[in-house]
Amino acid sequence: MEVLLQTLIAGILLGGLYSLIGIGMTLILGVMKIINLTHGQLMMVAMYITFWLFSIFKLDPYLSLFIAPPLLFLFGMGLQKFLIDPVLKVESILPHNQVILTVGIGMVLQNLATIFFTSDYRSTPVSYATDAWYLSDIWKTAPIELSLSFSWTISFCIAVAITVMLWYFLAKTDTGKSIRATAQDLDAAMLMGVNVNMMRMITFGIGSAMVAASGCLFIPIYYLFPALGSQFTLIAFVITILGGMGSTMGAIIGGLILGVFESVTATYVGMGWAPAGRFLVFIAALVFLPGGVASLLKRHAIRKSK
Amino acid sequence: MKRYFPIIVLAVLCVLPLVGLNTYLMHIVILSVMWAVCGMAWNLLGGYCGQVSFGHAAFFGTGAYCSGILAMKFKLSAWYGFLLSVPLNVAVALSMGLIVLRLRGPYFVLATLAIGEVFRIFAENVVDLTNGNLGIMIERTWVEKTQFYYIVLGLGLLAYAVVKFITESRWGYYFVAIREDQDAAESLGINTTLYKTIALTVSAVLTGFAGSFYMVYMGYIDPQIVFSLGEISILMIMVVMVGGVATFWGPTVGAVIMVILAELIRSIPRVGVAYQTLFGILLIVIIIYLPNGLVGDFAKIRRMFQRGAA
Amino acid sequence: MHKKLIRKKKYLIFIGILMVMAFGFSMRVYAEDIKFAIPLPLTGAQAKFGEIEQKSYIMAMEEINAKGGIKGQKIVLRFEDSQGKPEVARSIAEKLIDVDKQPVIFGEYSSSCSKAIAAVAEERKVPYIVTTGALDDITQQNYKFVFRICPSNAYYAGGLLSFFAEIVKPQSIAILYESSDFGTSGADEMAKSAEKAGMKVLAKEKYEKGAVDFKPVLSKIKGANPDVIYMVSYVMDAALLMRQIKELRIDSKIFAGGAAGFAIPEFVDNAKDASEHVMTATLWSQQMPYPGSKEYAEKYKASFKTYPSYHGAEAHATLYVIKDALDRAKSMSPQDIRDAVKATKMMTVFGPVEFVDKDGYQNQNFMDTLVLQVIKGKHETIWPKKYASANYVYPIPKWRDRK
Repeated sequence: MEVLLQTLIAGILLGGLYSLIGIGMTLILGVMKIINLTHGQLMMVAMYITFWLFSIFKLDPYLSLFIAPPLLFLFGMGLQKFLIDPVLKVESILPHNQVILTVGIGMVLQNLATIFFTSDYRSTPVSYATDAWYLSDIWKTAPIELSLSFSWTISFCIAVAITVMLWYFLAKTDTGKSIRATAQDLDAAMLMGVNVNMMRMITFGIGSAMVAASGCLFIPIYYLFPALGSQFTLIAFVITILGGMGSTMGAIIGGLILGVFESVTATYVGMGWAPAGRFLVFIAALVFLPGGVASLLKRHAIRKSK
Repeated sequence: MKRYFPIIVLAVLCVLPLVGLNTYLMHIVILSVMWAVCGMAWNLLGGYCGQVSFGHAAFFGTGAYCSGILAMKFKLSAWYGFLLSVPLNVAVALSMGLIVLRLRGPYFVLATLAIGEVFRIFAENVVDLTNGNLGIMIERTWVEKTQFYYIVLGLGLLAYAVVKFITESRWGYYFVAIREDQDAAESLGINTTLYKTIALTVSAVLTGFAGSFYMVYMGYIDPQIVFSLGEISILMIMVVMVGGVATFWGPTVGAVIMVILAELIRSIPRVGVAYQTLFGILLIVIIIYLPNGLVGDFAKIRRMFQRGAA
Repeated sequence: MHKKLIRKKKYLIFIGILMVMAFGFSMRVYAEDIKFAIPLPLTGAQAKFGEIEQKSYIMAMEEINAKGGIKGQKIVLRFEDSQGKPEVARSIAEKLIDVDKQPVIFGEYSSSCSKAIAAVAEERKVPYIVTTGALDDITQQNYKFVFRICPSNAYYAGGLLSFFAEIVKPQSIAILYESSDFGTSGADEMAKSAEKAGMKVLAKEKYEKGAVDFKPVLSKIKGANPDVIYMVSYVMDAALLMRQIKELRIDSKIFAGGAAGFAIPEFVDNAKDASEHVMTATLWSQQMPYPGSKEYAEKYKASFKTYPSYHGAEAHATLYVIKDALDRAKSMSPQDIRDAVKATKMMTVFGPVEFVDKDGYQNQNFMDTLVLQVIKGKHETIWPKKYASANYVYPIPKWRDRK
């Protein structure tokens, strides 16, 4: 019982963080139809910014949430405007050039990080790094011991908060609605007077900021090295496909599903197979549920409205 | 002149070992030819047929492990791996096709990427068969490179001939039609699924040959090397994109550039460490200014120089 | 007119590139010195270890040159980056042997790279001294030209196992390991030895490098309640594992590591208080009584601010073994150097070096392995007693009771 509960807790906490990573990508993929293979590298950049702020100014990683995401927002907008947009406009045989472009950008970012910061593993050993809340502290005669790691929980809560803010932004504000319009139908949005180019820049910026935020939240519980980008890019993809391209709610649910699935697989099947499980979920979603969780939600909503 | 170009290139390549290059340079040339084979294989599916696969490492690695497992587990000569890789890669291609060929656009890309990674993880975990991360090491048949060179050259010729034959036949037209507008092609009565499968299978088998060659030539493989996303799948795509999608010579030019340029830059003392940055920048520049690759946009290059001179 | 200028410019650029290339390739032409190129992972995940080895090689080179070099000739070292990839290491070895005609090869860090180079060296009949690659079968292949200074994986945990047998007497063990060749072979060895020693292997869990969350697996292990948790990891995974073990309050009798990540100071820096009382197998520590060990460690610390890991000592020793062999060799041909290496019998900062054929191994150096324990934030040697720098702490306090 204890093992199962602890596994589920771990899975949910992990899932919440995964969702934040996935949300940025699903937005970009949904609005701009761009496969952004440099997503993880942007997270890495944010983590390095956070690391250096911690090392030099002793700034707590959580406070870097006010610095790194905005910087990455601007950086993302710049990438979109100067590199990605020109490629989309170019006449070429294969429309997949933008994917390769993002691969190139990712290579440059990763290599620059390696040159300037070396491949040394870095971490931000904050004072509360190993603190946790224990069930037996609160309930003295508990039959089992459950622990809730302090930093994991804080990261999870902040991730949830950011996700809710993003959802609110997309659903209730004008800019948010314009972005969603651009995602649904580019031409119609243009006809309605939406500044489509600006929307795309903002979307890429938001996507980058989201993944930057998850970087800040990850660094107290993990560590940092230049090559960590690729595994998180892949995680983002799995969540995007699982949740449905462009759907924020889908990304949230997809992230949680993935987190719990990975934890349960790790405990009951074996940790070595966890990455394979990730991909099998991915392929299964692609084949059996191409619209992702979002399509399930939509179907449910339609059925309810009948 | 144009008609004799391939024959001249072939003649030069055949006498290359006699020129007396040292083994290091021969190694570079062999790698270039191997990558040219991979590039041509990928180009058939991606450039001509428009299905951009990010998971060709699955075929490469399967070919490599065919040779490796035969040598390690069954004590047969690794060269039989070439033969075994054909039916195996056909099977892999067909099963992959069942899953991915119904997908379009970004979904296809991501699915192939995922399958490539699944193969890697599979190879890492099924330790009894593949020796997992310990890899497979075998004795190489020859210590000098000359024989390997001629074999890979033969492979290159095979790939070139196959690609040329297919693209210049009616199938080639079907491929391009599918690439340009799949729905229109379907509506014209072209069985798109059949032809996509053919492209995928031929591409898979050729890539598998390159993989088998890698095993017998390098003598050591492990899942991180031959099933690698970045070092195999993506490199294959870069080779073709830099050289020129949907052209005959594109993949070869791309392979030569990627391999030789990489080695050159790596050996410059201070700059060597930054070669990935330079490569990334090169990639970005080519994507933006020469989206159809060096060969594909050759006319554009010529125009750039002419403008400079005028 | 303009066209001619453009053509001239292109010509100049072409010549310029040729000159840069020529300069680059010519960097190797200097007679009268003995030149060695050493393959190491200078970039990539293992760069930290490659760096420690590189610094140690340079230190040893300077010391040897100050005392007259080898037969009066100075040693000049150059380093080639293998990026931690076996196929690159192999290409480098081929280049060194075929093109540069280097008569003896040494270096590299990981087992897979060392194994790849060993195969090339044996093929081309050039002696190769393995510095840190620990995979057992590197010296079990009946190679005539491959020699290994470090003990093989099977012996790594020798000191740890004797500590278990005499002091702890555990009944059960859970093994957690990274899925690389190093982790896999370390875990397999420990599983075999544990069973021989009468311990039940309750779990043997593999994880992929870069894993974020070990808590699911750790909860399962906690439920099994093993006496010993044995981990084979590199430094960041090691730190993360201990931190999460602390979070889950798993109270095993012993937490032990299989060298590598557990044996370097960064482990304590990153795991902080979760690293206290953790033990690890190791091959060497700066408290060793071998002549020159302490001086080497202190000199390294003075230059580079931290103590070297055992990999540094291995590298330092290797260069001295090379010098000793070349001093005795009849000529600079690979075969003669090989024979001289085979006859090595000397003391180095890493310990005694002698290449013997024993227990199915060929040309292998056998030596005692030790146990370190983190006591008050520092690695202390605790076992065997004759090398101990501090008393071991056992039993260790429960997590809840620690400050």
